[in-house]
Amino acid sequence: MRRTILAGIVLVTGLLILVDLLLVNPSLTDAAGAVNELLVLLAAAAAVGGGATLVAHHVRVIGAGDGDSTGSIVLLAGMGAILVAGLRPGASGSSDPIVLWLVAALLAPIAASLFALLFIFLLGAVRRGFVLRARETSLMAGAAAVVIVLLLPVGGQAGDWLAASAGWVRDVPLAGVFRGLLIGTGILVAVSAARSMLALDRDDE
Amino acid sequence: MTSSASSALGSQAAARLRPAAPALLLLVLLVVASLLSGGVSGLELASPDRSRVDQLRGAIADLPDHPLVLIAFDADLGTYPEIRAATRAAIDDLAAHGAQLAIVSFTPEGRAIAAAERERIARAGTEQVPADLGFVAGAEAGLVRSVASVVPASASGPVIDAIRQGGGGIGAFDMVLIVSGSDLSARSWVEQVGTRLPKLPMVTIAPTFLDPELEPYLRSGQLTALVATLREGVAFAEAVEAASGRSSGSIIGSLPMLAGMLAALGVLAEAASRRFSRRGPRRFSGRAAS
Repeated sequence: MRRTILAGIVLVTGLLILVDLLLVNPSLTDAAGAVNELLVLLAAAAAVGGGATLVAHHVRVIGAGDGDSTGSIVLLAGMGAILVAGLRPGASGSSDPIVLWLVAALLAPIAASLFALLFIFLLGAVRRGFVLRARETSLMAGAAAVVIVLLLPVGGQAGDWLAASAGWVRDVPLAGVFRGLLIGTGILVAVSAARSMLALDRDDE
Repeated sequence: MTSSASSALGSQAAARLRPAAPALLLLVLLVVASLLSGGVSGLELASPDRSRVDQLRGAIADLPDHPLVLIAFDADLGTYPEIRAATRAAIDDLAAHGAQLAIVSFTPEGRAIAAAERERIARAGTEQVPADLGFVAGAEAGLVRSVASVVPASASGPVIDAIRQGGGGIGAFDMVLIVSGSDLSARSWVEQVGTRLPKLPMVTIAPTFLDPELEPYLRSGQLTALVATLREGVAFAEAVEAASGRSSGSIIGSLPMLAGMLAALGVLAEAASRRFSRRGPRRFSGRAAS
């Protein structure tokens, strides 16, 4: 029974959105807009729920004294700082100047620095990979080496040839595989959405 | 403290530093390469194929007088450095064409980068700071909602007024520049906004990994322009700089790039040769070393 109700909701909302895309009708647009508003609310609730779960997890880590307590304290302090800056009386939320300063002067540079270290960590991981899984790592490292050579910033005729080869690799084999994956995923999603909308999975009840 | 004790401490410190020595050497190499980058000939980071550059510059040049342009900032912190030069150049180019700019983000990471970029423009004081439309929650549902209404109730200013006069939604804009990189890329814009506003020109700057995904949309005409590799981005930034005579200060030097790439190739070759020589070609297998 519960699945039937769920399937009914999916069918009605899915068809409503589809028909709204096909027909110009103010009432349909309003109804589709209301469904969309509900989706936005659901996404916001999921984000708040995720944040609350994260806080609960790290409070538990600090309370139990195991794991990386220092990291948990830093994370909770960071969350607290942003929340206080954005939610204090008179603040303008995510556009508040203090929030913007925290983000622009602290969060973005720290995150960028961490990502910049990926270059070094990745090379270290490849070295370790050769010890643990030599065959797979050889394949990956070989492909990476070819791509690096093709992207070398060399000028002149050699540079033009390398750039053209890099473009061919991107446009033909890579794009072909990627598009195949995308089309396959698209077909699977369409089939599973149609099964849900037509309640064809009711046998599972 | 005796000299033997101090030398023991020195050797202990050297032993502690030894594992980090390769990484430190690499950092020093990159710093030196960055400092020397200006005077090296024979290196060229910009793509020799300028068709993508011409497409994006043409889309900006074709805009009407004082157009309203929305910058959808949904880059990813990990890949943004790859497209930073092109993004800043595009904002400069739009400002030079008298565009009225507004920034919006649909992802938290994009919002962080957008806030940092707005701060940078405000600090530089050389051009008008884009109007801030903030962060819109709800991912793709938020994107669909923004087709009808994208302006926060509390926002004000001349650009905001112009958007409200145009209906208050994404349809009020003459063009959208999508700074991609996160989950909500130009593909989501084509799917969710392009189907509802088919006449709205959409151009995008994206990191290389998104190129295979976005290329079909460019060829079908759903995207007006696409700059999607570091080399295309550098070529675009150089073209904008050459046209305006003003540096955005963010073009990556070719020498540090070459140094990093050669170091990476060196590490790959060293690791492979060490492994290969230790086990020999006949015993080369995927199993863990015993």
